[in-house]
Amino acid sequence: MLKYILVRVGWIFIILFIILSMNFMLLKLAPEYPPTEKDQRDIYYARQVSDGFMTEDVITDPAEIQALRDDHSLRDPNFYYSDEGTQFRVFKPVPIVLQYSVWLTKIVTSWDWGESTRIQVNVPAFDILKERIPVTLKLNLIALLVYIPIGFALGIVAALKSNTATDNVISFLVMVFISVPSFVLMMLMLLLFGYTLGWVPTQFPASNIQNFWLQFRGMILPVLGLSFGSIAGLTRMTRAELKEVLTSEFLLLARTKGLTKNQAVIKHGMRNSMVPLVPSIIGSFVGLLSGSVIIEQIYGIPGTGRIFIRAMAVGNYDYNVILTVTAFYTIISLFAVLLVDLSYGIVDPRIRMGAKK
Amino acid sequence: MSKNNKFAFVGQERKVYDQEIEGKPIGYFKDAMIRFRKNKMNIAAAIILFILIMMAILVPAFTNKNYEVIEEQLTYLSPRVPILEKFGILDGKTRITNIPVDLDTMDPETELALPVGHNPEFIMEGTLTNYTQPSLDSGPTSLGGEVRFTLGEDSNLYRLISEESFFFAGEGVTFNVDVTAFDKLDDGSLNIYIRYRNRLLLVGEAITEPGKYEFPLVLSHGQVTAPVYIELSSSNTNASVDINSISASHGEETIFEKESFDLFTSFELEDGLGSLSRVNNYSIYAEFIYDQYGALFNQRTITLAGSRYDEILAENPEIVPTEDPNNPGQFIFPENFVIKRIISKSSTTIDGQVYTTYQAVVDYAKYMGYSSTPYFLFGTDASGRDLFSLTWVGLRTSLIIGVIVSIINISFGVVYGAISGYYGGKVDLVMERITEVIGRIPWLVTLSIFTALIGPGFLTLILILIISGWIGVASVTRTQFYRYKGREYVLASRTLGANDRRLIFRHILPNGIGTIITSSILMIPGVIFSEASISYLGFGIGHGQSIKLGFLELSGVSLGVLLSDGQTALLDFPHLTVYPAIIISILMITFNMFGNGLRDAFNPSLRGAE
Repeated sequence: MLKYILVRVGWIFIILFIILSMNFMLLKLAPEYPPTEKDQRDIYYARQVSDGFMTEDVITDPAEIQALRDDHSLRDPNFYYSDEGTQFRVFKPVPIVLQYSVWLTKIVTSWDWGESTRIQVNVPAFDILKERIPVTLKLNLIALLVYIPIGFALGIVAALKSNTATDNVISFLVMVFISVPSFVLMMLMLLLFGYTLGWVPTQFPASNIQNFWLQFRGMILPVLGLSFGSIAGLTRMTRAELKEVLTSEFLLLARTKGLTKNQAVIKHGMRNSMVPLVPSIIGSFVGLLSGSVIIEQIYGIPGTGRIFIRAMAVGNYDYNVILTVTAFYTIISLFAVLLVDLSYGIVDPRIRMGAKK
Repeated sequence: MSKNNKFAFVGQERKVYDQEIEGKPIGYFKDAMIRFRKNKMNIAAAIILFILIMMAILVPAFTNKNYEVIEEQLTYLSPRVPILEKFGILDGKTRITNIPVDLDTMDPETELALPVGHNPEFIMEGTLTNYTQPSLDSGPTSLGGEVRFTLGEDSNLYRLISEESFFFAGEGVTFNVDVTAFDKLDDGSLNIYIRYRNRLLLVGEAITEPGKYEFPLVLSHGQVTAPVYIELSSSNTNASVDINSISASHGEETIFEKESFDLFTSFELEDGLGSLSRVNNYSIYAEFIYDQYGALFNQRTITLAGSRYDEILAENPEIVPTEDPNNPGQFIFPENFVIKRIISKSSTTIDGQVYTTYQAVVDYAKYMGYSSTPYFLFGTDASGRDLFSLTWVGLRTSLIIGVIVSIINISFGVVYGAISGYYGGKVDLVMERITEVIGRIPWLVTLSIFTALIGPGFLTLILILIISGWIGVASVTRTQFYRYKGREYVLASRTLGANDRRLIFRHILPNGIGTIITSSILMIPGVIFSEASISYLGFGIGHGQSIKLGFLELSGVSLGVLLSDGQTALLDFPHLTVYPAIIISILMITFNMFGNGLRDAFNPSLRGAE
């Protein structure tokens, strides 16, 4: 078992490494987007040089300066030229492989993910992310805690009362909520409950407002929007699995031995259906995270998804922030995968014993 | 035994060797179709889906309404549906709120003022109401409230002077001062003076408490024309006073009266330092139901360019303007022509060219190219485009992208899964690992990479969707291959000399066709969902961009873009969001039901499970 875990963890780091490297390389191949204001831009370039991403050259020869000023085609499009009157400063990017090794060492040794160039200029990217992680995680964890019991309950009810009116209604609702995209649902709910009825605030309340009831109401809509799709999926799976387990013989044995229906179903039936369910629950957490990007956008929640979209505004890319947020999402999803693999071991004793599947 | 005449032997005497099978053999697909048809929901879903697809193809091709160009006049119209409008639903009339009123139009009888910028003819009878809202504006349109006089920084005195008024001699002049609040006054006071014989004469007494004060003014000698002073003094430099009004009257006659805006503007600084502000003031707004279509498309007086006038006349040679006997110099046109009347004509000459313009009354609907007041079934959006056409165009785009991406994913996925499943062993292991790595990349990452490299657009969208879309198909195919790889007929075929390709495509693959078809149908709504999400975030195909498929160029708004546009005006114009949301929901639901029905039909043993 321990060996199993170690192998999987090692594998995760390898995948993380590959993904981040690919991301870095490809982003570096895209055009540069330094900050727009002159002062900030100077700071940016100075930082690049001191980090080792670029090298600096000073051209003082007046003839060369004049030539560069007159004829723009002499300038190399990959270099940055700063005209400072009597001299030209040329910033040349270092070859990509070298840049990559610099970047990697900075992350591994000093956890320095670079600075943001557009969102909050020259603020470390990791700090920007750090402020927003709690909001996003809080939202997603609450959604997780909300949707699991509801999904289970509905699935169990549907399976027990299979093929009756209740089951048909639940199945139909499941079908509807699986199909309708979560953000469409969210917008319609916002329209209905926020604007028309006024029960919930129409934008996410800022975190420094101390009114607990307002914060609570502000959470309702995004949590619902996130969880409806997952509830539907979980209900569908639970119903299918439980239905199949209900026909098996050990359950019949439990009933004949005198257990009530509730006891038999919940203790024995559910335990067996858990095997395919737990991985999907953990997997759905990653789905929740991705889905929350859109929900954050609609509702104005200052979370990691929103900062990612802002960093991706066309023509305004903020590479360091993009890389940092990417790393965040990748790490979480890979750890979710690790949990899934581990959960196979916990829930299904056959795997724990090392038996071949 | 003899009592059992309920049961009779059927074919005890018959010999059943080599008998023809009665009834026709039903093929795999026909069998599935029969099962499919049995479920009424599936048929309903299929029909609705068919209708949606037909609308998506036909409406953009045949609509006469504009869905590409920005038309400023037509923005934000409400939906107007031909038959329902007679019942008062969806008749193009919108409730408009929060429009400031024009105080000059205040009707003394009804005490209602008309809103700015709207044609009063088209405000529905009886629906106009005025209401007040607190306003931060200190201009003349903002009414009521008090004026706050605040001492300036480090100043203990603030004295203001007004213009001059005439005060009668003797008794009979009464000053009324209404003070509503003091703040941080401490030991200070508010004093009102008039200038009398070059001195400041205190009116009444110093005011230190809020209240309504009435001070008689006694002038011992003669009348005087003098300004009035307001003075606030205090040892606390943050003191302020809120004054509602100051007035003076002589008996019945009012000498002067200053409140709210007047009070705010008629006093000037005379001594000391301080500031004025208005507090608790409000503005009047109007709320009414407005017939937008009537107001827009009715007759209008516009300035018509000479060239356009000539064009219109040239297109309709039989129409001849006749001089109006009642208004010489004006020309009237026959009924139902786009131009109704020419009011005047003016020409200028620039560089030898004569440019003429006409003031004309036109039937605006005809002028814009519609034969009568147009119906916008879903209303119009922020740029005046018809939402009905836009929605179907969006649906068409989403479907096209869905189909293209699904075809690519399935072709690639099937081949990949087939190779991986058939060869097994090392090849399988390596391919599985590659699948795992690519599958684990969060879609945000692929989004960022492609958008940064190529920029948003049709190609990027397709690339993002196909990067990890094939993985599901590949793994399903692989499972199928593992299942059927070991069958005897495959072995037999191989012994007879069949090569790998023949085995894969002719023997093993057809077994999994059912599963492959269902997963492919079910993939389309997933693709549409992802595409809508990406477009909603702003990385998809926007207005004005188009899809180029070889020779075919189709305008490519997608539903996600429509939804994101609608979101900005969610409060005022919900119809912009509701209609596309409903259409996309119906599409997804029917697609999923259709896909589920197919899956149950092809493989009844999986009914109800994943």
